[in-house]
Amino acid sequence: MEKMNVVSPLGLDVVATSGRAKRIGDLNGKTIGEVWNGVFKGDVTFPIIRKMLQDRYPALKIVPYTAFPHSPGSDNPTQQRERARQIAALAKQQGCDALISGNGA
Amino acid sequence: MLARLTAKSAGIDGLAIAEYPGPVGIHDADAIARNVATQLIAKIVAGLTQSSEYDDRLAGPRARDQREIVFTGTPDAVTQFFHAREWTDRLPIVAPTIERVEAYVAHSSRLADEEIAVLPSANLRATPWNIAVNAVMAGCLPVHMPLLIAAVQALGDERCSLNNIGSSSGIFPYVLINGPIVNELGIESGAQLVSRGPNPAIGRALGLIVRNIAGFRPGASYMGTFGYPLAIALAEDEKSSPWPPFHTDQGFSRGANTVTIGVTNNWGASPAPYDTADKTGAQTALELLCREITKKTRLFNFPGRGPDAEEVMITLLLSPPVAKSLADAGYSKQDVRQYIYENTRMPLRDFEWVLKYTAILRTTLRERVEAGVFPDEFLGAPDDLVRVLSSPDILHIVVCGDPHRNRVMVMEGGHTRPTTKQIALPANWHDLLISARNDSAR
Repeated sequence: MEKMNVVSPLGLDVVATSGRAKRIGDLNGKTIGEVWNGVFKGDVTFPIIRKMLQDRYPALKIVPYTAFPHSPGSDNPTQQRERARQIAALAKQQGCDALISGNGA
Repeated sequence: MLARLTAKSAGIDGLAIAEYPGPVGIHDADAIARNVATQLIAKIVAGLTQSSEYDDRLAGPRARDQREIVFTGTPDAVTQFFHAREWTDRLPIVAPTIERVEAYVAHSSRLADEEIAVLPSANLRATPWNIAVNAVMAGCLPVHMPLLIAAVQALGDERCSLNNIGSSSGIFPYVLINGPIVNELGIESGAQLVSRGPNPAIGRALGLIVRNIAGFRPGASYMGTFGYPLAIALAEDEKSSPWPPFHTDQGFSRGANTVTIGVTNNWGASPAPYDTADKTGAQTALELLCREITKKTRLFNFPGRGPDAEEVMITLLLSPPVAKSLADAGYSKQDVRQYIYENTRMPLRDFEWVLKYTAILRTTLRERVEAGVFPDEFLGAPDDLVRVLSSPDILHIVVCGDPHRNRVMVMEGGHTRPTTKQIALPANWHDLLISARNDSAR
Protein backbone atom coordinates (compact mmCIF):
# COMPACT_ATOMS: atom_id res chain seq x y z
CA MET A 1 0.00 0.00 0.00
CA GLU A 2 1.17 3.52 -0.77
CA LYS A 3 2.99 5.30 2.02
CA MET A 4 2.19 8.91 2.79
CA ASN A 5 4.22 11.77 4.25
CA VAL A 6 2.12 13.69 6.72
CA VAL A 7 2.40 16.91 8.72
CA SER A 8 1.40 17.94 12.24
CA PRO A 9 -2.04 19.38 13.10
CA LEU A 10 -0.77 21.26 16.15
CA GLY A 11 -0.76 25.00 16.64
CA LEU A 12 2.50 26.89 16.89
CA ASP A 13 4.09 28.03 20.14
CA VAL A 14 3.99 31.75 20.82
CA VAL A 15 4.48 31.95 24.57
CA ALA A 16 7.93 32.18 26.14
CA THR A 17 8.08 30.38 29.48
CA SER A 18 9.84 31.40 32.60
CA GLY A 19 10.70 29.02 35.42
CA ARG A 20 9.42 29.21 38.95
CA ALA A 21 10.36 31.97 41.33
CA LYS A 22 12.99 31.15 43.93
CA ARG A 23 11.48 29.03 46.75
CA ILE A 24 11.29 30.54 50.19
CA GLY A 25 13.08 27.93 52.32
CA ASP A 26 12.11 27.77 56.00
CA LEU A 27 8.50 28.93 56.46
CA ASN A 28 9.05 30.26 59.97
CA GLY A 29 9.00 34.03 59.89
CA LYS A 30 7.53 34.14 56.40
CA THR A 31 4.13 35.43 55.22
CA ILE A 32 1.89 33.31 52.99
CA GLY A 33 -1.31 34.52 51.32
CA GLU A 34 -4.34 32.39 50.52
CA VAL A 35 -6.04 33.07 47.21
CA TRP A 36 -9.36 31.36 46.58
CA ASN A 37 -11.61 31.42 43.53
CA GLY A 38 -14.78 30.91 45.57
CA VAL A 39 -15.50 27.31 44.57
CA PHE A 40 -14.82 23.68 45.52
CA LYS A 41 -15.05 24.15 49.31
CA GLY A 42 -11.99 26.34 49.64
CA ASP A 43 -13.70 27.82 52.70
CA VAL A 44 -13.36 24.36 54.25
CA THR A 45 -9.90 23.37 52.99
CA PHE A 46 -8.04 26.66 53.55
CA PRO A 47 -8.74 26.86 57.33
CA ILE A 48 -7.57 23.23 57.71
CA ILE A 49 -4.41 23.92 55.69
CA ARG A 50 -3.84 27.15 57.63
CA LYS A 51 -4.02 25.40 61.02
CA MET A 52 -1.76 22.54 59.93
CA LEU A 53 0.85 24.93 58.56
CA GLN A 54 0.79 27.09 61.68
CA ASP A 55 1.04 24.02 63.93
CA ARG A 56 4.23 23.07 62.07
CA TYR A 57 5.61 26.60 61.71
CA PRO A 58 4.52 28.73 64.70
CA ALA A 59 6.23 31.86 63.35
CA LEU A 60 4.50 31.59 59.96
CA LYS A 61 2.03 34.40 59.22
CA ILE A 62 -0.89 33.57 56.95
CA VAL A 63 -3.06 36.17 55.25
CA PRO A 64 -6.45 34.46 54.85
CA TYR A 65 -8.39 34.31 51.61
CA THR A 66 -10.89 36.80 53.01
CA ALA A 67 -8.20 39.49 52.63
CA PHE A 68 -8.23 38.97 48.86
CA PRO A 69 -11.03 39.06 46.28
CA HIS A 70 -12.51 35.55 46.41
CA SER A 71 -15.18 35.17 43.79
CA PRO A 72 -14.87 32.94 40.73
CA GLY A 73 -14.36 35.98 38.55
CA SER A 74 -16.09 36.68 35.33
CA ASP A 75 -15.63 34.90 32.02
CA ASN A 76 -14.16 38.10 30.72
CA PRO A 77 -10.41 37.59 30.09
CA THR A 78 -9.66 41.31 30.46
CA GLN A 79 -11.42 41.36 33.83
CA GLN A 80 -9.63 38.16 34.86
CA ARG A 81 -6.23 39.70 34.10
CA GLU A 82 -7.18 42.82 36.04
CA ARG A 83 -8.24 40.63 38.99
CA ALA A 84 -4.87 38.84 38.91
CA ARG A 85 -3.02 42.19 38.94
CA GLN A 86 -5.19 43.35 41.84
CA ILE A 87 -4.40 40.19 43.84
CA ALA A 88 -0.67 40.51 43.14
CA ALA A 89 -0.70 44.14 44.32
CA LEU A 90 -2.61 43.20 47.48
CA ALA A 91 -0.18 40.35 48.17
CA LYS A 92 2.78 42.74 47.95
CA GLN A 93 1.00 45.23 50.16
CA GLN A 94 0.40 42.49 52.76
CA GLY A 95 4.06 41.49 52.64
CA CYS A 96 3.43 38.01 51.24
CA ASP A 97 6.50 35.92 50.40
CA ALA A 98 4.35 33.36 48.54
CA LEU A 99 0.75 32.54 47.68
CA ILE A 100 -1.25 29.33 47.88
CA SER A 101 -3.94 29.50 45.22
CA GLY A 102 -6.94 27.18 44.85
CA ASN A 103 -9.01 25.49 43.72
CA GLY A 104 -8.95 24.01 40.26
CA ALA A 105 -11.51 21.80 38.54
CA MET B 1 -2.50 18.22 34.97
CA LEU B 2 -5.00 20.96 34.06
CA ALA B 3 -3.35 23.48 36.39
CA ARG B 4 0.11 22.57 35.12
CA LEU B 5 -0.93 22.92 31.47
CA THR B 6 -2.77 26.17 32.10
CA ALA B 7 0.23 27.65 33.89
CA LYS B 8 2.59 26.58 31.14
CA SER B 9 0.32 28.09 28.48
CA ALA B 10 0.47 31.34 30.43
CA GLY B 11 4.27 31.19 30.59
CA ILE B 12 5.02 29.48 33.93
CA ASP B 13 6.74 26.14 33.60
CA GLY B 14 6.74 23.66 36.49
CA LEU B 15 4.08 25.30 38.68
CA ALA B 16 4.15 23.71 42.16
CA ILE B 17 0.92 21.79 42.58
CA ALA B 18 -0.65 19.94 45.51
CA GLU B 19 -3.57 17.91 44.25
CA TYR B 20 -6.49 17.01 46.51
CA PRO B 21 -7.45 13.37 46.01
CA GLY B 22 -10.93 12.98 44.48
CA PRO B 23 -14.04 15.16 44.42
CA VAL B 24 -13.92 17.46 47.45
CA GLY B 25 -17.55 18.42 46.83
CA ILE B 26 -18.94 15.10 48.05
CA HIS B 27 -16.49 14.60 50.93
CA ASP B 28 -17.54 15.48 54.48
CA ALA B 29 -15.43 17.68 56.76
CA ASP B 30 -13.68 14.73 58.46
CA ALA B 31 -12.68 13.16 55.15
CA ILE B 32 -11.40 16.50 53.90
CA ALA B 33 -9.28 17.03 57.04
CA ARG B 34 -7.89 13.50 56.73
CA ASN B 35 -7.02 13.95 53.05
CA VAL B 36 -5.40 17.33 53.65
CA ALA B 37 -3.29 15.86 56.47
CA THR B 38 -2.22 12.71 54.66
CA GLN B 39 -1.96 13.78 51.03
CA LEU B 40 -1.89 17.54 50.69
CA ILE B 41 0.03 19.33 53.40
CA ALA B 42 3.45 17.80 52.69
CA LYS B 43 3.10 18.70 49.00
CA ILE B 44 2.12 22.28 49.86
CA VAL B 45 5.17 22.65 52.11
CA ALA B 46 7.41 21.12 49.44
CA GLY B 47 5.97 23.41 46.79
CA LEU B 48 6.72 26.46 48.90
CA THR B 49 10.18 25.47 50.08
CA GLN B 50 11.94 23.02 47.76
CA SER B 51 13.82 24.02 44.63
CA SER B 52 13.32 22.08 41.43
CA GLU B 53 14.64 21.79 37.92
CA TYR B 54 12.11 24.44 36.89
CA ASP B 55 13.49 27.24 39.07
CA ASP B 56 14.57 30.31 37.12
CA ARG B 57 14.46 28.41 33.81
CA LEU B 58 13.72 30.61 30.82
CA ALA B 59 12.68 29.33 27.40
CA GLY B 60 11.49 31.08 24.27
CA PRO B 61 8.68 29.73 22.10
CA ARG B 62 9.74 26.59 20.24
CA ALA B 63 10.09 27.25 16.53
CA ARG B 64 8.68 24.56 14.27
CA ASP B 65 8.51 24.24 10.51
CA GLN B 66 4.86 23.62 9.70
CA ARG B 67 5.85 21.65 6.61
CA GLU B 68 8.00 19.23 8.59
CA ILE B 69 7.09 15.60 7.82
CA VAL B 70 6.19 14.04 11.16
CA PHE B 71 5.46 10.52 9.90
CA THR B 72 5.58 8.36 6.80
CA GLY B 73 3.31 5.37 6.50
CA THR B 74 0.17 3.78 5.10
CA PRO B 75 -3.18 5.52 5.75
CA ASP B 76 -3.91 3.06 8.59
CA ALA B 77 -0.48 3.65 10.10
CA VAL B 78 -0.97 7.41 9.85
CA THR B 79 -4.24 7.14 11.77
CA GLN B 80 -2.56 5.00 14.44
CA PHE B 81 0.34 7.46 14.71
CA PHE B 82 -2.09 10.37 15.17
CA HIS B 83 -4.23 8.38 17.65
CA ALA B 84 -1.13 7.64 19.76
CA ARG B 85 -0.38 11.36 20.04
CA GLU B 86 -4.01 12.21 20.84
CA TRP B 87 -4.26 14.34 17.72
CA THR B 88 -7.57 12.69 16.70
CA ASP B 89 -11.06 12.17 18.08
CA ARG B 90 -10.32 8.42 17.84
CA LEU B 91 -12.03 8.12 14.47
CA PRO B 92 -9.99 7.35 11.35
CA ILE B 93 -8.58 10.43 9.63
CA VAL B 94 -7.74 11.51 6.11
CA ALA B 95 -3.94 11.69 5.95
CA PRO B 96 -2.76 15.34 5.91
CA THR B 97 -0.14 15.22 3.19
CA ILE B 98 1.66 18.36 2.08
CA GLU B 99 -0.11 18.26 -1.30
CA ARG B 100 -3.55 18.07 0.29
CA VAL B 101 -2.81 20.77 2.83
CA GLU B 102 -1.44 23.10 0.15
CA ALA B 103 -4.62 22.65 -1.90
CA TYR B 104 -6.75 23.61 1.12
CA VAL B 105 -4.59 26.63 1.96
CA ALA B 106 -4.97 27.80 -1.66
CA HIS B 107 -8.73 28.08 -1.03
CA SER B 108 -8.17 30.53 1.80
CA SER B 109 -6.50 33.33 -0.21
CA ARG B 110 -4.08 33.73 2.68
CA LEU B 111 -0.45 32.98 3.31
CA ALA B 112 0.11 29.57 4.87
CA ASP B 113 1.83 30.94 7.96
CA GLU B 114 -0.32 34.02 8.51
CA GLU B 115 -1.54 34.36 12.08
CA ILE B 116 -5.31 33.89 12.21
CA ALA B 117 -5.60 33.79 16.00
CA VAL B 118 -3.88 32.63 19.16
CA LEU B 119 -6.23 30.16 20.78
CA PRO B 120 -6.57 29.57 24.49
CA SER B 121 -6.15 27.50 26.59
CA ALA B 122 -2.85 26.29 25.08
CA ASN B 123 -2.20 29.73 23.57
CA LEU B 124 -1.03 28.26 20.28
CA ARG B 125 -1.00 30.13 16.98
CA ALA B 126 -3.56 29.15 14.37
CA THR B 127 -2.53 29.59 10.74
CA PRO B 128 -4.19 28.70 7.44
CA TRP B 129 -1.74 25.79 7.33
CA ASN B 130 -2.64 24.10 10.61
CA ILE B 131 -6.34 24.90 10.14
CA ALA B 132 -6.07 23.14 6.77
CA VAL B 133 -4.35 20.12 8.34
CA ASN B 134 -7.26 19.66 10.73
CA ALA B 135 -9.78 20.25 7.91
CA VAL B 136 -8.12 17.54 5.81
CA MET B 137 -8.10 15.13 8.75
CA ALA B 138 -11.81 15.75 9.40
CA GLY B 139 -12.87 15.04 5.83
CA CYS B 140 -13.80 18.61 4.93
CA LEU B 141 -13.50 19.93 1.39
CA PRO B 142 -11.04 22.68 0.37
CA VAL B 143 -13.98 25.08 -0.17
CA HIS B 144 -14.77 24.86 3.54
CA MET B 145 -11.56 26.72 4.37
CA PRO B 146 -12.97 30.28 4.39
CA LEU B 147 -15.66 29.35 6.90
CA LEU B 148 -13.19 27.42 9.08
CA ILE B 149 -10.86 30.40 9.13
CA ALA B 150 -13.72 32.65 10.25
CA ALA B 151 -14.62 30.05 12.89
CA VAL B 152 -11.06 30.17 14.24
CA GLN B 153 -11.19 33.97 14.32
CA ALA B 154 -14.33 33.63 16.45
CA LEU B 155 -12.68 31.06 18.74
CA GLY B 156 -9.79 33.47 19.30
CA ASP B 157 -11.97 36.48 20.06
CA GLU B 158 -11.95 37.44 23.75
CA ARG B 159 -15.74 37.68 23.63
CA CYS B 160 -15.77 33.94 23.00
CA SER B 161 -13.65 33.39 26.14
CA LEU B 162 -12.77 29.89 25.02
CA ASN B 163 -10.34 29.54 27.92
CA ASN B 164 -13.05 28.41 30.29
CA ILE B 165 -14.72 25.52 28.46
CA GLY B 166 -12.61 22.81 30.11
CA SER B 167 -15.22 22.54 32.89
CA SER B 168 -16.13 19.10 34.21
CA SER B 169 -19.75 19.96 33.32
CA GLY B 170 -18.88 19.03 29.73
CA ILE B 171 -19.16 22.12 27.52
CA PHE B 172 -18.65 21.59 23.81
CA PRO B 173 -18.69 24.02 20.90
CA TYR B 174 -21.00 24.34 17.95
CA VAL B 175 -20.67 26.38 14.79
CA LEU B 176 -23.69 28.11 13.23
CA ILE B 177 -23.48 29.19 9.61
CA ASN B 178 -25.61 31.91 8.06
CA GLY B 179 -25.82 33.60 4.69
CA PRO B 180 -25.77 32.61 1.02
CA ILE B 181 -22.77 30.33 1.64
CA VAL B 182 -25.12 27.81 3.28
CA ASN B 183 -26.75 27.05 -0.06
CA GLU B 184 -23.55 27.51 -2.05
CA LEU B 185 -21.81 24.77 -0.05
CA GLY B 186 -24.88 22.55 0.35
CA ILE B 187 -24.73 22.88 4.13
CA GLU B 188 -27.81 21.33 5.69
CA SER B 189 -30.24 23.50 7.62
CA GLY B 190 -33.30 21.24 7.46
CA ALA B 191 -34.23 17.76 8.64
CA GLN B 192 -31.51 16.00 10.68
CA LEU B 193 -29.18 18.83 9.75
CA VAL B 194 -26.27 18.01 12.05
CA SER B 195 -26.07 14.49 10.63
CA ARG B 196 -26.28 15.24 6.91
CA GLY B 197 -24.36 16.84 4.08
CA PRO B 198 -21.01 18.42 4.96
CA ASN B 199 -22.18 19.35 8.46
CA PRO B 200 -20.56 16.38 10.30
CA ALA B 201 -17.17 17.02 8.67
CA ILE B 202 -17.33 20.76 9.45
CA GLY B 203 -18.29 20.04 13.06
CA ARG B 204 -15.52 17.46 13.30
CA ALA B 205 -12.96 19.94 11.96
CA LEU B 206 -14.05 22.43 14.62
CA GLY B 207 -13.56 19.75 17.28
CA LEU B 208 -10.09 18.85 15.98
CA ILE B 209 -9.09 22.53 15.91
CA VAL B 210 -10.27 22.93 19.51
CA ARG B 211 -8.18 19.86 20.39
CA ASN B 212 -5.00 20.49 18.39
CA ILE B 213 -4.71 24.28 18.22
CA ALA B 214 -6.67 25.43 21.26
CA GLY B 215 -5.18 22.48 23.14
CA PHE B 216 -8.27 21.03 24.82
CA ARG B 217 -7.37 17.38 25.40
CA PRO B 218 -9.86 15.11 27.17
CA GLY B 219 -8.47 14.11 30.53
CA ALA B 220 -5.75 16.76 30.54
CA SER B 221 -7.39 20.11 29.95
CA TYR B 222 -10.88 19.16 28.73
CA MET B 223 -12.48 17.67 31.79
CA GLY B 224 -16.13 16.87 30.93
CA THR B 225 -17.08 14.17 33.42
CA PHE B 226 -18.74 11.97 30.81
CA GLY B 227 -16.78 13.21 27.79
CA TYR B 228 -18.04 14.94 24.68
CA PRO B 229 -19.97 14.17 21.51
CA LEU B 230 -18.44 15.43 18.27
CA ALA B 231 -18.81 19.18 17.76
CA ILE B 232 -21.94 20.25 15.91
CA ALA B 233 -22.38 22.28 12.72
CA LEU B 234 -25.73 24.05 12.39
CA ALA B 235 -27.07 26.29 9.67
CA GLU B 236 -30.17 28.43 9.83
CA ASP B 237 -33.04 27.71 7.47
CA GLU B 238 -33.33 31.37 6.53
CA LYS B 239 -35.85 30.75 3.75
CA SER B 240 -38.31 28.98 6.04
CA SER B 241 -37.85 31.33 8.97
CA PRO B 242 -40.53 33.98 9.43
CA TRP B 243 -37.98 36.22 11.20
CA PRO B 244 -34.73 37.97 10.25
CA PRO B 245 -31.86 35.46 10.52
CA PHE B 246 -29.61 34.98 13.51
CA HIS B 247 -26.63 36.91 12.18
CA THR B 248 -28.69 40.08 11.74
CA ASP B 249 -29.28 39.93 15.53
CA GLN B 250 -25.49 40.18 15.83
CA GLY B 251 -25.33 43.30 13.66
CA PHE B 252 -24.47 41.75 10.28
CA SER B 253 -26.35 42.44 7.08
CA ARG B 254 -28.76 39.83 5.83
CA GLY B 255 -26.60 39.04 2.79
CA ALA B 256 -23.40 38.55 4.81
CA ASN B 257 -21.87 35.11 5.22
CA THR B 258 -21.09 34.46 8.87
CA VAL B 259 -20.06 31.80 11.32
CA THR B 260 -21.00 31.92 14.96
CA ILE B 261 -19.27 29.92 17.64
CA GLY B 262 -21.46 28.94 20.54
CA VAL B 263 -21.33 26.27 23.20
CA THR B 264 -23.71 23.85 24.83
CA ASN B 265 -23.72 21.36 27.67
CA ASN B 266 -26.27 19.20 25.98
CA TRP B 267 -27.72 17.84 22.79
CA GLY B 268 -30.89 16.03 23.45
CA ALA B 269 -34.60 16.11 23.96
CA SER B 270 -36.68 17.83 21.32
CA PRO B 271 -40.25 17.94 22.63
CA ALA B 272 -43.19 18.89 20.42
CA PRO B 273 -45.69 21.65 21.29
CA TYR B 274 -49.29 20.92 20.28
CA ASP B 275 -52.27 23.08 19.51
CA THR B 276 -55.12 21.98 21.82
CA ALA B 277 -58.65 23.02 22.67
CA ASP B 278 -57.45 25.28 25.45
CA LYS B 279 -54.08 26.54 24.16
CA THR B 280 -52.79 27.59 20.76
CA GLY B 281 -49.68 25.92 19.36
CA ALA B 282 -47.80 29.19 19.83
CA GLN B 283 -48.77 29.46 23.48
CA THR B 284 -47.82 25.84 24.10
CA ALA B 285 -44.46 26.40 22.39
CA LEU B 286 -43.67 29.35 24.65
CA GLU B 287 -44.66 27.48 27.80
CA LEU B 288 -42.76 24.39 26.69
CA LEU B 289 -39.57 26.40 26.14
CA CYS B 290 -39.91 27.91 29.63
CA ARG B 291 -40.38 24.47 31.15
CA GLU B 292 -37.38 23.07 29.30
CA ILE B 293 -35.15 25.88 30.58
CA THR B 294 -36.07 25.21 34.21
CA LYS B 295 -34.50 21.75 33.79
CA LYS B 296 -31.09 23.28 33.06
CA THR B 297 -29.98 23.53 36.66
CA ARG B 298 -26.40 24.53 35.85
CA LEU B 299 -27.95 27.91 35.15
CA PHE B 300 -28.80 28.33 38.81
CA ASN B 301 -25.20 28.04 39.96
CA PHE B 302 -23.89 30.10 37.06
CA PRO B 303 -26.72 32.59 36.58
CA GLY B 304 -24.80 35.23 34.64
CA ARG B 305 -25.68 37.90 37.16
CA GLY B 306 -23.87 40.37 39.37
CA PRO B 307 -20.56 42.21 39.33
CA ASP B 308 -18.47 39.13 38.39
CA ALA B 309 -21.10 37.57 36.15
CA GLU B 310 -20.15 34.43 34.31
CA GLU B 311 -21.31 34.15 30.72
CA VAL B 312 -24.51 32.22 30.07
CA MET B 313 -25.97 31.39 26.69
CA ILE B 314 -29.11 29.49 25.82
CA THR B 315 -29.66 28.51 22.20
CA LEU B 316 -33.26 27.77 21.24
CA LEU B 317 -33.60 25.61 18.14
CA LEU B 318 -37.07 26.00 16.69
CA SER B 319 -38.28 23.95 13.76
CA PRO B 320 -39.79 26.15 11.03
CA PRO B 321 -43.43 25.27 11.82
CA VAL B 322 -42.96 26.26 15.46
CA ALA B 323 -41.33 29.55 14.46
CA LYS B 324 -44.15 30.19 11.98
CA SER B 325 -46.83 29.53 14.60
CA LEU B 326 -45.18 32.08 16.89
CA ALA B 327 -44.82 34.66 14.12
CA ASP B 328 -48.43 34.11 13.02
CA ALA B 329 -49.48 34.77 16.62
CA GLY B 330 -47.70 38.13 16.38
CA TYR B 331 -44.45 37.32 18.18
CA SER B 332 -41.18 38.76 16.93
CA LYS B 333 -37.97 37.07 18.07
CA GLN B 334 -37.53 39.78 20.69
CA ASP B 335 -41.11 39.15 21.89
CA VAL B 336 -40.30 35.45 22.26
CA ARG B 337 -37.13 36.22 24.23
CA GLN B 338 -38.99 38.67 26.45
CA TYR B 339 -41.83 36.20 27.10
CA ILE B 340 -39.39 33.46 28.06
CA TYR B 341 -37.41 35.79 30.31
CA GLU B 342 -40.55 36.88 32.16
CA ASN B 343 -42.18 33.47 32.38
CA THR B 344 -39.38 30.99 33.00
CA ARG B 345 -40.15 30.74 36.68
CA MET B 346 -39.99 28.21 39.45
CA PRO B 347 -40.77 28.11 43.16
CA LEU B 348 -38.01 29.74 45.16
CA ARG B 349 -37.76 26.63 47.35
CA ASP B 350 -36.83 24.48 44.30
CA PHE B 351 -34.29 27.01 43.06
CA GLU B 352 -32.74 27.23 46.52
CA TRP B 353 -32.52 23.43 46.80
CA VAL B 354 -30.39 23.27 43.67
CA LEU B 355 -28.21 26.13 44.87
CA LYS B 356 -27.73 24.60 48.31
CA TYR B 357 -27.17 20.96 47.41
CA THR B 358 -25.51 21.05 44.01
CA ALA B 359 -23.53 24.21 44.58
CA ILE B 360 -20.02 24.63 43.39
CA LEU B 361 -20.18 28.14 44.86
CA ARG B 362 -19.97 28.50 48.63
CA THR B 363 -22.29 31.38 49.33
CA THR B 364 -25.96 31.17 50.29
CA LEU B 365 -28.71 32.62 48.18
CA ARG B 366 -29.22 35.37 50.77
CA GLU B 367 -25.52 36.26 50.69
CA ARG B 368 -25.64 36.39 46.93
CA VAL B 369 -28.68 38.68 46.99
CA GLU B 370 -26.86 40.92 49.47
CA ALA B 371 -23.81 40.95 47.18
CA GLY B 372 -25.97 42.14 44.32
CA VAL B 373 -25.79 38.88 42.36
CA PHE B 374 -29.51 38.04 42.53
CA PRO B 375 -32.33 40.61 42.67
CA ASP B 376 -34.51 41.04 45.75
CA GLU B 377 -37.25 38.75 44.43
CA PHE B 378 -34.97 35.86 45.51
CA LEU B 379 -35.56 36.80 49.16
CA GLY B 380 -39.29 36.03 48.91
CA ALA B 381 -41.42 33.21 50.33
CA PRO B 382 -40.60 29.57 49.42
CA ASP B 383 -43.61 29.29 47.11
CA ASP B 384 -42.89 32.54 45.25
CA LEU B 385 -42.24 31.97 41.57
CA VAL B 386 -38.90 33.60 40.78
CA ARG B 387 -37.58 34.45 37.32
CA VAL B 388 -34.76 32.05 36.53
CA LEU B 389 -33.09 33.97 33.70
CA SER B 390 -30.90 37.02 34.16
CA SER B 391 -31.94 38.69 30.91
CA PRO B 392 -33.72 38.08 27.60
CA ASP B 393 -30.38 38.78 25.92
CA ILE B 394 -28.93 35.38 26.87
CA LEU B 395 -31.53 33.68 24.66
CA HIS B 396 -30.47 33.00 21.05
CA ILE B 397 -33.02 31.78 18.55
CA VAL B 398 -32.11 29.67 15.52
CA VAL B 399 -34.72 28.36 13.09
CA CYS B 400 -33.65 25.02 11.63
CA GLY B 401 -34.52 21.35 11.49
CA ASP B 402 -37.24 19.31 9.86
CA PRO B 403 -39.67 21.69 8.13
CA HIS B 404 -42.49 19.19 8.66
CA ARG B 405 -42.08 18.75 12.42
CA ASN B 406 -43.19 20.88 15.34
CA ARG B 407 -40.23 20.42 17.66
CA VAL B 408 -37.91 22.56 19.80
CA MET B 409 -34.59 22.03 21.53
CA VAL B 410 -32.99 24.03 24.32
CA MET B 411 -29.20 23.99 24.41
CA GLU B 412 -27.74 25.49 27.57
CA GLY B 413 -24.11 26.46 27.84
CA GLY B 414 -21.85 28.96 29.44
CA HIS B 415 -18.51 30.55 30.18
CA THR B 416 -18.55 31.85 26.61
CA ARG B 417 -20.95 33.92 24.59
CA PRO B 418 -21.93 33.53 20.92
CA THR B 419 -19.24 35.12 18.77
CA THR B 420 -19.97 35.86 15.14
CA LYS B 421 -17.44 36.58 12.39
CA GLN B 422 -17.95 37.40 8.75
CA ILE B 423 -16.53 34.87 6.29
CA ALA B 424 -14.04 36.51 3.92
CA LEU B 425 -14.33 34.81 0.55
CA PRO B 426 -11.47 34.65 -1.95
CA ALA B 427 -11.81 36.81 -5.07
CA ASN B 428 -12.14 33.65 -7.20
CA TRP B 429 -14.79 32.11 -4.93
CA HIS B 430 -17.26 31.33 -7.72
CA ASP B 431 -14.56 29.61 -9.76
CA LEU B 432 -13.63 27.56 -6.70
CA LEU B 433 -17.28 26.59 -6.19
CA ILE B 434 -17.65 25.51 -9.81
CA SER B 435 -14.48 23.49 -9.56
CA ALA B 436 -15.69 21.84 -6.32
CA ARG B 437 -19.03 20.95 -7.94
CA ASN B 438 -17.24 19.47 -10.95
CA ASP B 439 -15.02 17.43 -8.61
CA SER B 440 -17.99 16.04 -6.72
CA ALA B 441 -19.79 15.17 -9.97
CA ARG B 442 -16.87 13.01 -11.12
